[in-house]
Amino acid sequence: MDQENVIDIRGLVVDYRTGRSATRAVNGATFSVARGECVGFIGPNGAGKSSTIKAMMGFLFPTKGEVRIFGEPAGAVESKLRIGYLPEVTLYYPFLKGTELLELYGGLHRVPRSRLRERIPTLLEEVGLGDGAGERLIRTYSKGMQQRLGIAQALIAEPECLIFDELSSGLDPVGRHDLRKVLLDLKAKGATIFFSSHELYEVEALCDRVIAIHRGEILFDKSLDSLLGDASDAGLENHFMSLIRRRDEGGTP
Amino acid sequence: MTAQVRNVFLIGRTLLYEAWRRREVYAIVLITSIIVGALRFVHFFDIPELSKFYREIALKVMNVTTAATVILLAARQLPREFANRTIYPLLAKPVSRLEFLVGKFLGVVMAGVFCYALFMAVFVTVNATLQVPVEKSLFLQSVYLQILQLSVVASLVFLLSMVLNTDAAITLAAILYLFSQTFMNLTSYLYDYVDRVGQWFLVALMYAVPQITLFDASAKAVHSVNRGETIWHAMPAWVLYALTGYAAAYSCLFLAGAYLLFRRRPL
Repeated sequence: MDQENVIDIRGLVVDYRTGRSATRAVNGATFSVARGECVGFIGPNGAGKSSTIKAMMGFLFPTKGEVRIFGEPAGAVESKLRIGYLPEVTLYYPFLKGTELLELYGGLHRVPRSRLRERIPTLLEEVGLGDGAGERLIRTYSKGMQQRLGIAQALIAEPECLIFDELSSGLDPVGRHDLRKVLLDLKAKGATIFFSSHELYEVEALCDRVIAIHRGEILFDKSLDSLLGDASDAGLENHFMSLIRRRDEGGTP
Repeated sequence: MTAQVRNVFLIGRTLLYEAWRRREVYAIVLITSIIVGALRFVHFFDIPELSKFYREIALKVMNVTTAATVILLAARQLPREFANRTIYPLLAKPVSRLEFLVGKFLGVVMAGVFCYALFMAVFVTVNATLQVPVEKSLFLQSVYLQILQLSVVASLVFLLSMVLNTDAAITLAAILYLFSQTFMNLTSYLYDYVDRVGQWFLVALMYAVPQITLFDASAKAVHSVNRGETIWHAMPAWVLYALTGYAAAYSCLFLAGAYLLFRRRPL
């Protein structure tokens, strides 16, 4: 495995077993993400995006293949120390305040208490939860506010690598704009970013490279420039749709 | 403090915050306390034994209510983490699944102790106004044993919630808790009427199911002093050590079982 690769996935197969039958969610996915890259992971619903990300985080175990993060097996404490992760829409502990939740996650991420005291107000401001929102119980938060809090918890330990599952789900246009700004700042600072998304314009705005997955198999793995070149005047969305149709009809994209 | 111990403490503390801020615990304590507080006025015919009987009932009600709170809290932990998806950001941090499980267990026990402490505050206040003496050391021992019992019950529910759905885990845990004494008596009674294989089975069953009633010294505490004479003294230290070891062994065994099932579970 390449030491410069932050994420290394080789021949990943994920099966979900129900009784004696098994459904294959990911079928032999292989790709890697180098340090400092920003990679978008796209695909239709049920394509295998979340299963791949869950395998990367150690939430489920590959049926076959290997997943390594910072050279460690997926889910190892050593690699998790260097990752910030945002799951799909989460309803955080309703009886904690926003600041308490960040103290909890920061504490678990071994951020010193003195650093947390400095960082939490700045971070809340950065994700658009200023004006005392952090001192309110989370049960009073809207869905969008919870997602902003989720972004804050992913960034609390200033991780080297960010893994976001469904980047902007639950966010309104203002929230998406703020998030994009935060991610572009992090990208400029050299963070490695890997995110799944349905929103192709988001991928276009942020990524260096795009990996598409369809029916559990990698459809393509291309730099954004090359993909935009292929798409030419048809636009990214139309190009993506034609590739999916071609694969469904049995051809190669 | 090592990172592992800190993780366990942080996860447990979150659960305690929740118990502290949820109104359910206060409602349970308030309603039960009103019922128990009414005992202050139970002094019919000035018969002290009658008052003692009611206080014994009051303590039993408090013990059962605390255990029920712990059963409900413990059984809902994992399903709620999955339903709200909070398990993902938590386990994405440098936290092992063992630390997560032990942290949740610690939180449930702390919430149970919090609930029981509220009950005891009411009980001690009512008892003080009645000016009926109890053997203080024995009373404190009975409180300690109740806390041990809560840890056994919580760990049992965590194990059950790994293999059963929430409702089934709550029901089975409640049955095991409420019928522990009957179950113990029944197995002892049946022992003489079954063949050798049956006897082995009953002995195995006796060891498999923790004897919850061993941790209930509330009746002894209430009846410890009679007409100014102490009839039940504090238990010797070795009994407390043995019961602590017994509770620790079962709690560890159940938690280890829960961890084995949770260790490789796809999330």
